Amino acid sequence: MDLTLLLQSALAGLTNGFVYALIGLGLSVIFRGTRIINAMQGEFALIGGMASYVLLESLGVALPVAALGGAVLGGITGVLVEAVLVRPMRRRGASEESYLLLTLGVAFAISAAVLYFFGRDARLLPGIGGEASALFFDAAIRVHAIWLIVIASAVMALLWLFYHRTVVGLSMMAASVDEQGATTVGINVPLMRTLTFLLGGLVGGLAGVLVSPLITIHYEMGLLLTLKGFAAAILGGLANPFGAVVGGVTLGLVESGAVLYFASGYKDVVSMVILIVIMIVMPNGMLGRGARKGG
Amino acid sequence: MRILRRRFLVGAAGLAAAALSIAAFAQGKEPIKIGAVLSLTGPGAGLGQGERTGILLAEKAINSKGGVRGRPVKVIIEDDGSKPDNAKSKAENLIFNEKVKAIVGGSLTASTGAIAAITNGQGVPQLALTGLGPPIELTYKSVFHLLPPQALNAKAMLEYATKGLKAKKVGVLHDSGYGQLVMNALKAQSDAYGMEYVAIEKFEVGATDVSTQAAKVRAANPDVVFVIATNPIPFRNARQMRITQPIVSAIGSSSYQYVSGMGEFANDIVFPEFLVPEYPMPHQAEFVNLHRITYNVLPKNYEAAGWDAIHVIAKALETTGADASGEVIAQALRTPHRGVLASYNFGATDMTGIELSSYVYSKLVGGKFVRLPFITR
Repeated sequence: MDLTLLLQSALAGLTNGFVYALIGLGLSVIFRGTRIINAMQGEFALIGGMASYVLLESLGVALPVAALGGAVLGGITGVLVEAVLVRPMRRRGASEESYLLLTLGVAFAISAAVLYFFGRDARLLPGIGGEASALFFDAAIRVHAIWLIVIASAVMALLWLFYHRTVVGLSMMAASVDEQGATTVGINVPLMRTLTFLLGGLVGGLAGVLVSPLITIHYEMGLLLTLKGFAAAILGGLANPFGAVVGGVTLGLVESGAVLYFASGYKDVVSMVILIVIMIVMPNGMLGRGARKGG
Repeated sequence: MRILRRRFLVGAAGLAAAALSIAAFAQGKEPIKIGAVLSLTGPGAGLGQGERTGILLAEKAINSKGGVRGRPVKVIIEDDGSKPDNAKSKAENLIFNEKVKAIVGGSLTASTGAIAAITNGQGVPQLALTGLGPPIELTYKSVFHLLPPQALNAKAMLEYATKGLKAKKVGVLHDSGYGQLVMNALKAQSDAYGMEYVAIEKFEVGATDVSTQAAKVRAANPDVVFVIATNPIPFRNARQMRITQPIVSAIGSSSYQYVSGMGEFANDIVFPEFLVPEYPMPHQAEFVNLHRITYNVLPKNYEAAGWDAIHVIAKALETTGADASGEVIAQALRTPHRGVLASYNFGATDMTGIELSSYVYSKLVGGKFVRLPFITR
């Protein structure tokens, strides 16, 4: 096997893996805090990416400010979804399945709204380092992709600190694990759920800002990202944000490895078979045990 | 000079009044209904939305000229959501409730097949915007298609690669949907063109990264690379993986939507297609101008196909009258028609009659389409 191809495959796998991981992280944050499987996590990315694009191209703000604006709008969307849709459903005793249906419906609505207001055109955010690539033994990786990996790793580390070292993070976990117990000790459970959606939306919006220079922003990107992010989160252990990163990177590497060793038409078949085997051996996900330990 | 100007103004006012009165006369009569089932949402929206604008523009243009035999044309457009089961129910509604004289669509092959099962049974003429393939269509009595079969698209690509670029070895990056259809046609014709496929790499529709596949194509060292996808990412990845060879694509990838997503990599990519609106052929200029004035954007191939579909049907109805049977209208549709997209002959064995010579070749230069002098005969 050509060493360059092998390296190229690994770099592509890592890049894709961290893209999946960023979406999986947000999914996992919301599931960890509310037990809701959020089918609109990719839509947070769509909103974040599109908002950054509008801020940058139409309003002429600087790229870092536009990126921040995209992430914040993702967070605001999360809060709105929780306050306007999830909370009233919870009051009426909605089941877990109905939240899945709700978020799926909102995902389609957001996608349709983006199609209506922004059209079908694919839009491109400039990446960190522009279109420049770095070479490793003749294998290429976008400079932006390196930054995406670094930032995603930093987000993962910050989330770990947040959940383990801050009162708010621990309160969010407590509110999720034992609602009545948390209320008894004075935790504002509804506020914690809102903050969970804020955090999930922020991570999703940031994912959109980081992913858009690689895959372009278009109205259908949300659902595609959600599917891969969901696979990453399940593979790593849905309740564990760090599992989403492990799952995402594993998924990315398995996919690119499958392209390398098999005819590329069989990529999905090969990678899915490997993932099924992993799930049979580790049914709670690769870091599922850690999730239970954390609550 | 002043008298001349006055005469000109009086004449122009008279003509305008006549045109308005014709249009008003047409508006006062019962409209002739034509149905359209398009993919306006879902994966096929990239095709259907463009087809819709072309159809609406054609409706407006025909009615402004007095309609068909003095009656206005009314196009009822339905969205199938890119799903064949929806396409079937929408077509049934158009035929049985709206009593349309003909149906345009679908935008996707599966929808076209679902609609054809109804139109064929009811004898309603159908102008499809994608083909089912001649072996199937020949068994139907009234299904024709406006866009070329994939065999012809493949030929157009191979013509340019072998005659324009003198290439012998080709590497291919294609998606599992549209790209697979074109790839099948390319394989079928490789011997006729003496072309060797040194690498064929496939990826799923909507893939977010195909750089490993692109690296494998590059490693095979082809003379030219075919990239066939309904997504700008493979084009970007090909250049990012330092594929420096010329890229030839297919008509389905030639859209402003994809070019904007290619960013700075929208360069040195050739498309065999029919309409390069920046450099329109004389018979395309009126449509291009009207589209630009009406929508403030330039049209591409699918807009032109929508425009042609309504004009082809209107021309047939002009010949037969709106009260003619579906069979008679279908027979009239078989008359050769010079459209904006191409010259059609729906009586031909491939049910479209588009010749290779109808293709023009465009090349992306700095993100802009430029028409190439290369022609096929």
